[in-house]
Amino acid sequence: MNERVNKFTAVIMLGFICIFSAAMLLGGKESFSVDENRELTEMPEVSASSLINGSFTEQLSRYAADHFPAREKLIAIDSRIQAELSEKIVNGVFVSGERLLDTGAADRPDTEKSAEAINSFNDSYNGAVYFVCVPTSAGVYSETLPPYMQKNTESRQISSLYSNLSADIRKIDAYNILKMLNDSYIFYRSDSKWTSYGAYCVYRTVIQKLGFSPTAYDKYTIDHVENDFRGDLYHRSGYAGVKADIMDIYRCKGDTNVISCTGRDERGNIYKRHLFDKAELDSSYKYNMYLGKPLPLVKVKTNVNNQRKLLVITDSFGSCFVQFLTQHYSEITVVMPSEIKGSVRNMVDPGKFDQTLFLFGIDSMSDSSIFEKLN
Amino acid sequence: MVYSSLLFIYGFLPFSLLFYYITPNRQREKMLLLLSMLFCGAMGLCYLGLMLAYTVVNYTACRMIGKNRGKPAAAVPFAAAMIFDLAAILVFRTKYFIGSYSIIGWPEGIFPIGISFVTLAMLGTLIDVYNGRISEEKSIFRFALYVMFFPKLIMGPVLRYRSFSKALGSRRDGLNEIGIGISIFVKGLSKKVIVADNLYMLYKAVRSVDPADMSAMTAWLGIAAFLLSLYFTMSGFSDMGVGLSHCFGMRLPQCFSYPLFRTKIRYFAARWHMQAMHWFRHYITKPLSSFSRSRIFRRCIYILSWGAFGFWYRFDMNGIVWGIILAAAIIVENRFSKHRLLAVTGVIYTFIITAFAAVFLACDSISDSLRYIFAMLGGNKMFADSLGFYLFRYYVVILLVAMYASTDLFRNMLIRSGKTRFRTVIAASAPLIVLTFAVLCTILLSYSGSSGMIIMKL
Repeated sequence: MNERVNKFTAVIMLGFICIFSAAMLLGGKESFSVDENRELTEMPEVSASSLINGSFTEQLSRYAADHFPAREKLIAIDSRIQAELSEKIVNGVFVSGERLLDTGAADRPDTEKSAEAINSFNDSYNGAVYFVCVPTSAGVYSETLPPYMQKNTESRQISSLYSNLSADIRKIDAYNILKMLNDSYIFYRSDSKWTSYGAYCVYRTVIQKLGFSPTAYDKYTIDHVENDFRGDLYHRSGYAGVKADIMDIYRCKGDTNVISCTGRDERGNIYKRHLFDKAELDSSYKYNMYLGKPLPLVKVKTNVNNQRKLLVITDSFGSCFVQFLTQHYSEITVVMPSEIKGSVRNMVDPGKFDQTLFLFGIDSMSDSSIFEKLN
Repeated sequence: MVYSSLLFIYGFLPFSLLFYYITPNRQREKMLLLLSMLFCGAMGLCYLGLMLAYTVVNYTACRMIGKNRGKPAAAVPFAAAMIFDLAAILVFRTKYFIGSYSIIGWPEGIFPIGISFVTLAMLGTLIDVYNGRISEEKSIFRFALYVMFFPKLIMGPVLRYRSFSKALGSRRDGLNEIGIGISIFVKGLSKKVIVADNLYMLYKAVRSVDPADMSAMTAWLGIAAFLLSLYFTMSGFSDMGVGLSHCFGMRLPQCFSYPLFRTKIRYFAARWHMQAMHWFRHYITKPLSSFSRSRIFRRCIYILSWGAFGFWYRFDMNGIVWGIILAAAIIVENRFSKHRLLAVTGVIYTFIITAFAAVFLACDSISDSLRYIFAMLGGNKMFADSLGFYLFRYYVVILLVAMYASTDLFRNMLIRSGKTRFRTVIAASAPLIVLTFAVLCTILLSYSGSSGMIIMKL
């Protein structure tokens, strides 16, 4: 009896393993995951150093996981099981009934190095530098998180960052602005980033510092262009139990108007871009509707006739912010260092601008490699 | 590449089984060596290089000792190889030699996993050969396989050479053994992926609070989670290793035999990490105790060997303290064990002592451990807080499941049930149970692809 059962187990299990490994080996290799919205790992290249320190196998393991048969279905089941087995934390995403929140705040590396890089940019720069650090939804809604994560981690990280920046950099306290308004729809439920309204609330303060008076809320026509947006936290956790998000675009009722919007990559190729690229609403990551897929540099020209130019150095938080700046500047240059491999100065000469606005989410700030490209 | 990764389960495992079983019987040992070298190479060629260095140095030393047996000259290769082994473990387990990695061409930040087990095995073999207890291995292939055999590499049992070569010589491979092996492997995988990883989350959650603000309830939840997670990680990995060896026809002993929730600390100690414990008893306690018959002396040696065991776990003071606490508790217990305890009281008291000792394994430093113990004793004037209740609410199920699974209650129930229908049903549905758990583990691994958390780098 026992031996027969053992043999039967062996046959079943070997069959099971072989089916999956054959599917893994022979199955189609997608390069992009729609559900997860990210480029899947490519087959790692063999190099002497990666073979010696074993990182080749690590990448291969990542590759195997990324191209595992039925991966997306498995992750969706995984999120349900995981939320039952322990706290409601799935792949580092906290699942509350109302919204998804990132739980990685406490593990973020220190921002000191990034601050140093920005300081040295400021030292070699003649104009005025403005700085906004935006919390993620986890910082603004920290009281929703499990008790042991509610220690204002992000607010502390932001204030320590601000204290490390030179005194002549003008800092804008986005954290407290957003925190006060957290009854409003300022952050997406399934994404760590702000909504257009959240960006507008911060814009009001930022634009005053930049020397303009803000456009009143009732001057805008607001279009709900999308009501089925699922953000990065949804993609990471695979948890569909949270209501989908609404995406808004703000247009000023006056006569201001974008004349041209062009993107450029590091090779010098020029791309036509739109302030709102509605074609991206059909893509897997709808947030790219703002300014289109991230490019190293995007230049927005408007019919504002004041010859004022602004350099915005930013991350994905900025792409949704630009819509509010178009009423004030005749030219806005948006640079995303995270998309640049070399130095930022190969793309743009900051000396040509007398105002530079840094606008970054706190999680980009902890990646000092982004800011080392500034100098 | 750890066993608990998709690449291993669906890549390396079927690949190695296929190549092993298509190899003719006489060449299978060499095939195993080849597969093991491939596994080591996959962990990094530097790792393979280190294992080859271990093999060559110790093999040569054993041969030279064998040739000069009985002569004083045998001491030279013996000492040289001992120094090599000890130096290697010191270089990689302590942080003092990080600067020297570039000299030996070792990439930074890479820990040679399992090095502590290999070192123990090598030291034991050297001593045995030197004392003439075993004769030296003539075949370098078999010796290399002893060093690199991949199922026991990560946390597999520390085997003495004789047991290993006996298991290797009396292999009984076949479908039956694969069935047993895969069942044990899936059991270990589930221990790791389902239980240990989730309990480690609980421990991490507790540790995100400073011990000075911790309530007693939170502290106890944290340490219980740590102890269980440690047990499930280590026994999970060794189960996976034992299961894999079964697939190649080798029957290796289990490392843990339900050590937690015993009625006496003595029983806990006798069932915790048995193969490693045997090593310390055999090579440290026994030879040293033979010097004197004095009872106090022997007790000191007993405490010392537990301290050494703890030191081997962590390579710092904390590990030593863990060992000493347990050894002292066992000595005290033996003295008073005439008073019979109720089973329940015994379980509670054993758990409390092992939990206090485990604090030293969990915390970074002595002062950190003491502050944690202070919190456990309610020294912060907080016995329960909202965090404690929150964590309890979400983790109580997995904690209870883990506690039940860490005891032998289920196994005993099966044994006692004799030839009843219950047992037949369980036995008949075994393949289905194994398959279910394998699917479950695959699902839990699907996002990250592997679960490499090992708590203690051994």
